[in-house]
Amino acid sequence: MSKLVSLIILTLLTFQAQAGTSVIVHPSNSFSLTADDVTRLFTGRSKTFPDGRTAVPVNLTEDVAVRAVFDEKVLGRSSSQIKAHWSKLLFTGKGTPPKEVDSDQEVIDLVKSNPNIIGYISSENATGDVKVVLSVD
Amino acid sequence: MRLLIYTLIIGFSLGVSSKANADIRFNGFASVKAGTTLGSGETLYKYEDELSWRHETLVGLQFGADLQQDLSVTAQLVGRGSESYETNLEWAYISYRITDNLKFNAGRIRTPFYKYTDFIDVGYAYDWVRVPQSVYNLNFTNLDGVSLYYTSQLMGFDSTLHLTAGSNDGRPEIAGRKVDGKVRGGYGIIWELNRDFFTVRLAHLGGELTASDPELNGFTEMLRGIGYASLADDLLLDDSHSDFNGLAVTLDKYDWVLVSELTNVTFENSFVPEQTGFYVSLGHRMESFTPYISYEKRDDSAKREIYADVPQTAPFYSDLAGLIDSLAVDREAWSLGMRYDFHSSAAFKVQLTHSDNKITNEQNQLLTFGIDLVF
Repeated sequence: MSKLVSLIILTLLTFQAQAGTSVIVHPSNSFSLTADDVTRLFTGRSKTFPDGRTAVPVNLTEDVAVRAVFDEKVLGRSSSQIKAHWSKLLFTGKGTPPKEVDSDQEVIDLVKSNPNIIGYISSENATGDVKVVLSVD
Repeated sequence: MRLLIYTLIIGFSLGVSSKANADIRFNGFASVKAGTTLGSGETLYKYEDELSWRHETLVGLQFGADLQQDLSVTAQLVGRGSESYETNLEWAYISYRITDNLKFNAGRIRTPFYKYTDFIDVGYAYDWVRVPQSVYNLNFTNLDGVSLYYTSQLMGFDSTLHLTAGSNDGRPEIAGRKVDGKVRGGYGIIWELNRDFFTVRLAHLGGELTASDPELNGFTEMLRGIGYASLADDLLLDDSHSDFNGLAVTLDKYDWVLVSELTNVTFENSFVPEQTGFYVSLGHRMESFTPYISYEKRDDSAKREIYADVPQTAPFYSDLAGLIDSLAVDREAWSLGMRYDFHSSAAFKVQLTHSDNKITNEQNQLLTFGIDLVF
């Protein structure tokens, strides 16, 4: 029995560690986005959604675990590489990195209040207030 | 232009004082590096055979204020160990976003010669301990003027067209000599194309260059005094048109990064030789470690035709020939190094460079290590 409990706990822990991320926008948006579209928005190479409206990406701070998942699985780069990329733009007047907030809830609050904002959260925290446009496990 | 910089500073302080409508940003970067050559009496990139922490250590602070309606003000101060940490305003500009794809900057900006010029002080943004010196040797670093960035999509490529124009007064190093220099009518056209793993950058810059070196001025006065006026004219760099051309290619795939850059500079009607530089560097990312290897080469042929017709019996012959010949460069260097991202905002780097001067037949080895960080 105790073996089974350990197994369940282990499975849960593994699940927790591998929790995916979901990219979210305001529910009024009807477009879909590819990982490449999201990458372009979060690396400053694009500033608009497919429908032409201005996109404002919101990031999570580095101490939120899902940030590393997003950087590696969606942007395809380590957090250090992303930081190096933004320091190139920031210190040469070419761009400013996305604003960072501390929690999934803050991202949800921003996204549901503004159709221009795009963010990402741990997939299990997605609510009906927002629309998931991309999910990565 | 000085007035413009002051205006910027005032504009900036106004921005700071009216917090209600300005979004203030404060960021910075720092590099702490130490190096020593490995053989007794060897020198390379100002390092000698005892450990020095001074030459490449620096701290930069950037203040930015986003005002309303796509207008922003930015100032960047850098203090360098090599200049006793005397701070210098390296960037100070206003920026106006005309559309999502078009941005205009005015003030003190960077002369964008090379691929890494704009962020050369931000070591965290690249893997090497230092950019390859065989290529990165023009140091008319700052430009007081304007620039325009236009980004677009072109046949599946991300295109950035960068136009710039301005002037500069400074103390550049030309062919290894610190001189009083100025650039007038400077302009540049830089075009960068990126798609997936491939990036190419083409750069053309030009301007009228004037430089004077007190030591050299004494020599040319002497030549004039004894009737060699046209020879003296050959030794001037006075409103001489200079052209810079650069090509850079980056391939970044499967955690391998290949970067290469080829540059050429010419100085019309001048004793300063044509300068050609090249490097290629290969790095491999493995989790937090990025080892790399790079090769670089520099080739400047002295303009010996300047003294070809001067009789060898002339009293100044050896000084003249010595001066012209001293401008020749034929050197190559290999570097082996590693970047280690030990912290989310900081990287430790170590690099060993072996330089081979084919003219003096000297080999020098330099070991440098240190930390680059951003905040």
